[in-house]
Amino acid sequence: MVKIFIDEKPFEVEEGITVFTAAEQAGIEIPHLCYHPAFAPEGTCRMCLVEIEGVPKLELSCATVVRDGMKVSTNNERVVEARKGVLEFLLADHPMDCPICDQAGDCKLQDYYEKYGMFESRYSENKEKREKKRKIGQTLIHDQERCVLCRRCVRFTREITKTHELGVFERGVHAEISILEDGPVNNKYSGNLAEICPVGAITDLDFRFQTRSWFLKSGDSICPLCSRGCSITIDSHKGFSHFKVPKRVYRIQSRRNENINGFWICDIGRYGYGYINENRLEQILLKNEQNEAMDWEKALKILSEKMKKVHPMDRSSGAVLILNPWLTNEELFLIKKFLIENQEFENVYLIDIPDGEGDDFLITTERSPNKRGLQELGLKAKSLSSDKLPEKIKLVLAFTPPNIDSAGSASVKAVFDKAETKILFASNKNDLSDVSDMVFPTAVIAEKSGSLINIDGVLQNFSPALEALGDSRPEWQILVEMAKEIDINHKYYDQFSSPETILQEIRKEISDFGKKSD
Amino acid sequence: MEEKLLTKLFEIKDSFTIDVYLKHDGYKAVEKAFQEMNPESILAEVKNANLRGRGGAGFPAGVKWGFVPKGVDKPKYLCVNADEGEPGTIKDRYIMTHNPHLLLEGILIASYCVGINTAYIYIRGEYENVALGLEKAIAEANAKGYLGKNILNSGFDCQIYVHRGAGAYICGEETALLESLEGKRGNPRLKPPFPALVGLFQSPTVINNIETLSNVPKIILNGAETFVQTGLPKDGGTRIFGVSGMVKKPGIYEMPVGTNLKEIIFELAGGMKDGKTLKAVIPGGMSAPILTADEIDINMDFDSLAEAKSMLGSAAIIVIDEDTSILDVLKIVTKFYSHESCGQCTPCRIGTKWINKTVQRIADGQGKIEDIDNIKRLAKNILGKTLCPLGDAAALPILSIVNKFRQEIESYIGN
Repeated sequence: MVKIFIDEKPFEVEEGITVFTAAEQAGIEIPHLCYHPAFAPEGTCRMCLVEIEGVPKLELSCATVVRDGMKVSTNNERVVEARKGVLEFLLADHPMDCPICDQAGDCKLQDYYEKYGMFESRYSENKEKREKKRKIGQTLIHDQERCVLCRRCVRFTREITKTHELGVFERGVHAEISILEDGPVNNKYSGNLAEICPVGAITDLDFRFQTRSWFLKSGDSICPLCSRGCSITIDSHKGFSHFKVPKRVYRIQSRRNENINGFWICDIGRYGYGYINENRLEQILLKNEQNEAMDWEKALKILSEKMKKVHPMDRSSGAVLILNPWLTNEELFLIKKFLIENQEFENVYLIDIPDGEGDDFLITTERSPNKRGLQELGLKAKSLSSDKLPEKIKLVLAFTPPNIDSAGSASVKAVFDKAETKILFASNKNDLSDVSDMVFPTAVIAEKSGSLINIDGVLQNFSPALEALGDSRPEWQILVEMAKEIDINHKYYDQFSSPETILQEIRKEISDFGKKSD
Repeated sequence: MEEKLLTKLFEIKDSFTIDVYLKHDGYKAVEKAFQEMNPESILAEVKNANLRGRGGAGFPAGVKWGFVPKGVDKPKYLCVNADEGEPGTIKDRYIMTHNPHLLLEGILIASYCVGINTAYIYIRGEYENVALGLEKAIAEANAKGYLGKNILNSGFDCQIYVHRGAGAYICGEETALLESLEGKRGNPRLKPPFPALVGLFQSPTVINNIETLSNVPKIILNGAETFVQTGLPKDGGTRIFGVSGMVKKPGIYEMPVGTNLKEIIFELAGGMKDGKTLKAVIPGGMSAPILTADEIDINMDFDSLAEAKSMLGSAAIIVIDEDTSILDVLKIVTKFYSHESCGQCTPCRIGTKWINKTVQRIADGQGKIEDIDNIKRLAKNILGKTLCPLGDAAALPILSIVNKFRQEIESYIGN
């Protein structure tokens, strides 16, 4: 540890870290554009210059390592003037098109101007005119006028994806970020480029001109689209009181998590949020009941009657339970306790989610978020696509994932075709929702709490990033209420007021549950 | 006291050939270094000679060599900076054209001293014929056994390669030169690490100017003591002053360090052309702050010029007469730096262009009186705040011109 002084306050900091990091740890903001913790310092934006006692020139905080007794000023007159000078240069040729820029509200240049700039423009020359919408990739547009040449994007394609699509062309004031004519950005992580751009130079076609960032509410969640379990934030829009907006979720961004995904997420996770917005089931559906509004209480009563109708003697052979690896640990545990152990569903099947192409970075071939949780709970399930079905099926309870494909739904349909009573728990409309006797709308991962275990055995808790849609509810809540309705050991299920209480119960039974990370 | 250490052979026919060079003590210094000296004593000799870098910064060459760590696994490299891009500077071209073997001998001794087996001469792209000449000289030296394996039975191997640049001023900045030599875009690197530790191909690297290395053979052959008798004790040897502009006899003049500027202009270069009056002098390449006619009674050495708030730089003297508009000078200076800025860091990329546009506007008759202070403010916002010295190289001459010739610039505004 070394002792340094930042703005006259003493701090004990780790040896070898930079002044920037030391200040950050002390809660002191040093404005910066080119610095990004994922990359080696670049030192080109010159925004992070600070004064160090005894050093004649202002120094880069991003590249200067702390020394014992070092006295740093991050905000004295000299530093503030230098910072203003850099800001003035950056804004000289800037197009000032914030009113139509997607980055407005999230823009470092905008923030720093308001915080440290606030000068009148003294630029009386003609601004440089440059290309404003060069398509540099499938979903990416680059605006040369807004670009501050921080090269974060260039470094990303060199250091992270190693695909080298981006580079700096030309020189001086004409320097620009671009691609080779026949080499657009083409990698599975391209969406990160729009995210790490500190200004509105790289914008994402998926988000471009869709909404304003200040209307969005950010919520933390975990990406369920493969077994990595990357940390994400979900930006959603509630709509206005007199005006509906076309989408709920507008974008997904990565959330820093050193243990799992670092700073990045893949394009599959970033752009694959359609299922949260589209084809959602919002109401309980009951076949043959015409237009009757169905509330949860009533529906659960009907369900309980239907379940009770199946004679206990028939349960073991004639009742089928279909699960999926999108269910949380807590939900799977309740299924095990309530449906398998108590209600004696012995024919348990798992919907197969086909593998996809993986890579050696984040994307796993396994494309489901909680297969490991299923294993650690000791839930044995047969494969729905390859294992044999019972001869006669009286009752089937099926939990389907949002991304069930036609093969998956066909395999469930084969069970439904044989079954007398078909109950579906699903978040999205699928081929089964029309042929079920009852359909219970469920919340998606983004809307619920719980935990998942990723491919490396890391258990991650998550909370809702947005509210559940319509009448939909998370499966754990439905299961607790079903158990109470059927009235077995009321007291046991009463304690499960939240996923945390269920996880505590799991750990009572399996003490090292979710702690076996590889 | 010898006054022509570098240019002595220039007048002799075929001075660029190894045969002529050998007739004039050529490669004698290498023989002495290999046979009578060791790396430590060579380093001590160069340090004692106070040989300061001739590229512009004036850093002592011996000290620079001493920074290279000993006993590292990686190969070490010598990069010879022949980018010679500083406007007004032509000295290195003359050495390489007329006495390439002097340079090669200097390279050999430096390499032997630091333990380097591979040297690269990074030469500016425009010097095509010079590069061809160097390659011929290297071939001659190889044929005579002064390069290659086991040179003069010393067990020491050394090879020299010529690498041509592609026409960027910035590639004369040592770390941009390294990047360019590695095949990358010539952008300066962030320091530290310094090239002595992490240089070319991530290996310890010495980067020296042509003229600096060309002084080494004389230091070894005659000893440091003799060397410092020419020039100044703390700044030994000669400088090749390249005089250009409105003088009667523009050209290169090798004189001891510390020779008076007035003497160089009015005696060696024959004084002002067409009997005009001297207006100003840029004493050390374009990035050196300008001197007015009253300020030229000055000794041409690093310390004297630093005291006068200018710099010796590459010792390229640009002479400006009364007929030359100072606004034209400013226009050329600002255009050059904005054109040559690599664009990597903000103040240099945008500041140099902004100033250039303002100067151009003043020249077009659209200037406002507040533009002058604004130019000064912008130059100060560049000064000391850029990643490499190009920012300062641009800001310093601009500030000096605006400060010293403010009245003249004002006269172009509002007319």
